[in-house]
Amino acid sequence: MKRVPKPVFFVVALLILAFSFTAIFGISYYTGDNKTTVLKGISDIRWGIDIRGGVEATFKPAGDVDATDEQLESAKSIIELRMVSQGITDYELYADAKSDRIIVRFPWKEDSDQNAVEAIEEISSTAQLTFRPGDGHETTDIDSNGEYVYKTPSGDTAKTILMDGSYVESASAGMTTDKTTGKNSYVVQLKLKSSGDKNGKERFADITKEYLNQQVSIWMDDIMLSAPKVEAEITDGNAVISGDFTAKEAQDLASKINAGALPFQLETSNYGTISATLGENSLIAMAYAGVIAFILIAIIMILFYRLPGFVAVISLLGQMGLAIAAVSGYFPVFSSFTMTLPGIAGLILSIGMGVDCNVITAERIKEELKAGRTLDGALERGTKNSLSAIIDGNMTVIIVSIILMLVFGPANILSIIFGESTTGTIYSFGYTLLVGVIANFIMGVFCTRIMLRSVAGFKFLRKKWLFGGAKND
Amino acid sequence: MTDKTQTKAVSKAPLTDEEFVNKYNGGRKIIDFVGHKKIFFGISLAIIIIGIICNFIFGTQLDIQFSGGATLKFSYSGEINQSELTDFIQVETTEDRITTTYAQDLMGDSGTTVTVQFSGNDSIKTDIQKNLESDLQKKYPDNNFKCLESNSVDASMGFSFLLKCLTAVAIAAVLMVLYVTIRFKKIGGLSAGVMALVALFHDVAMIYFMYVIFQMPIDASFIAVVLMILGYSLNDTIVIYDRVREEKKLVGSKTDVGKIFNLSCTKCIKRTIMTSVTTLSAILVVYVVACAFNITSVQGFALPMIIGIISGCYSSICIAGPLWVMWQRHKKAKKLAAKAA
Repeated sequence: MKRVPKPVFFVVALLILAFSFTAIFGISYYTGDNKTTVLKGISDIRWGIDIRGGVEATFKPAGDVDATDEQLESAKSIIELRMVSQGITDYELYADAKSDRIIVRFPWKEDSDQNAVEAIEEISSTAQLTFRPGDGHETTDIDSNGEYVYKTPSGDTAKTILMDGSYVESASAGMTTDKTTGKNSYVVQLKLKSSGDKNGKERFADITKEYLNQQVSIWMDDIMLSAPKVEAEITDGNAVISGDFTAKEAQDLASKINAGALPFQLETSNYGTISATLGENSLIAMAYAGVIAFILIAIIMILFYRLPGFVAVISLLGQMGLAIAAVSGYFPVFSSFTMTLPGIAGLILSIGMGVDCNVITAERIKEELKAGRTLDGALERGTKNSLSAIIDGNMTVIIVSIILMLVFGPANILSIIFGESTTGTIYSFGYTLLVGVIANFIMGVFCTRIMLRSVAGFKFLRKKWLFGGAKND
Repeated sequence: MTDKTQTKAVSKAPLTDEEFVNKYNGGRKIIDFVGHKKIFFGISLAIIIIGIICNFIFGTQLDIQFSGGATLKFSYSGEINQSELTDFIQVETTEDRITTTYAQDLMGDSGTTVTVQFSGNDSIKTDIQKNLESDLQKKYPDNNFKCLESNSVDASMGFSFLLKCLTAVAIAAVLMVLYVTIRFKKIGGLSAGVMALVALFHDVAMIYFMYVIFQMPIDASFIAVVLMILGYSLNDTIVIYDRVREEKKLVGSKTDVGKIFNLSCTKCIKRTIMTSVTTLSAILVVYVVACAFNITSVQGFALPMIIGIISGCYSSICIAGPLWVMWQRHKKAKKLAAKAA
């Protein structure tokens, strides 16, 4: 057997320890309040929506609308714009042309008190801005602030649309001071298009001329925002919507108008929400589970396999480090991965499965010792004979994990047949399993073997009992 | 028989059982797995029959992920009369019957949770959740009602997801059998592959019956567990096949396959059990912690995994192996018969 120099054990073990430590805790330093991350650790992992909390929703055109591919794409880009303007950047968004569906998933912004349902309604509202004659409406509600809300146009107001949002160039929130009362109020200022076939400037001039001294109402979808009386002809292409807005309401409305109206009304066919507190609890729980499982398995391994068991625990630690590093983006070449609860479960499971190749090897060495071989001979044959079983066994888990990633992953071969879907939480289970197996192979086969051979060079450790042989040898 | 084979048979008489044990297993006892196959098959069949009966009695529940439907989960603090709360939710939401389940969070701080399950397979409008949340907060202002989780799935989308999952399981199974067939050509690749597949069906059936008996709805976790166990169980089977291949080389192909199998299996059973024990302890820890923290999604993932690991370990040794031996013996008998004729 090729002897491996004694110090190699310590070098490999220390490298593994150092690597795992940095992979778990990361390295970062503070300059003032700025945190600079040198190496990413567990705290830098990007968590999925089942941990951070978030929203997932599927929209489809309401009624029997058969949307064209262009319409669907434009609806998608409008939703995208709306999310960006709300500060949501970490989203997944797909348009499935075959089934006319738009699928979106996004996590909560940190420290925000967003209401899940409102967020869904917000991004899927049609946002059709219309100018209509008169102020006819069907229902009057009272909102939570005690203000009247007029809904659903009726009569002439319902029949005629004077102008819609497509004539608007841009919208912004602003403030005006009432000349008589001196009260400040928030408004939305519209800059109308002044050229092209949707010339809002001309159109608005015509409208204000035709309806001079009459009421014109401004609607957002089904809700009347305001119904001012036209007091003068407006030819400069600027219009103002007033309507008892708060600063935020005015801002939201302006960005809605800017993002544009959807080409059709959307209906929420699927949706799911998870609150951030629920996910946080789960994360703590899984952290406990991971630590307990590791300690338990370390004890089992050392009790049953003695020295090879101890070596196995070191390489298991290295395997965990590698798996975590592959998720957190520790190596700059691999981008970080969104981690979910099943993903963590997969990681913990791979601790249990990961010792398999150590178990196979250790059992083999034990067997060879019992067959009366010398320590070196047993080590040599034990490691050699167990390799094919380890490779074959790992191959099946690799096949499974790749298929798991295909089924639950984002766009892939299977989605050609079954339509687009968002990344399921189980996607990261497939990923951690795959990473676990590969890490297991590097650590469990390569590192374990080097360490074992090196350790066998120490005289005081050259006892068959330590490698699983009988006590008196 | 020709003279040549006769002389060979004389010069190398078949080993007695005792000699065989001494020569190949250092005198230690070889466990007779193949001989007990009737017991093993009997146990598995009994469980499968019980499972099928339960399936008829309880039926199979599909999770709303596959069937479509809606659930809402709220947390609240303090004590509220549960039937009163259920009635309130019923009145505030829909005329169709709703089902509520209550659970306590032992470790975390979400207090009591109530899950509202709507009947039927339709998704609900977002208004229902929004209104119910504000109604609950208004009616019980001191109980800190919060929506933890909501799910609403359209039936047609659920079905297409189910199809996708089943396709994936089929692809996985075919790929793995192909792999075994190619890798274990020397020990009758196809028979090894097909018998491994039978063992896999066995494991999937066990997981499925566990869902039926515990009345857990079949969801995406089920598919993940099934795929995972396919890989895990086959891993066990492969380690044994690998050993059979190795021992066959040592013992020679003249020896009865049953004997070779028993020998190989005896030699690697410790490994199979140890790996199952470590994997099982990892997932058991996950399950216990998930129960303590009331994380239903992880519980629903860990429990079937536990059953799958036990079944996967058992089926590799007690189902796939003996079946493979039967196939090989049958083939040999047919060959001899053909020769004799």
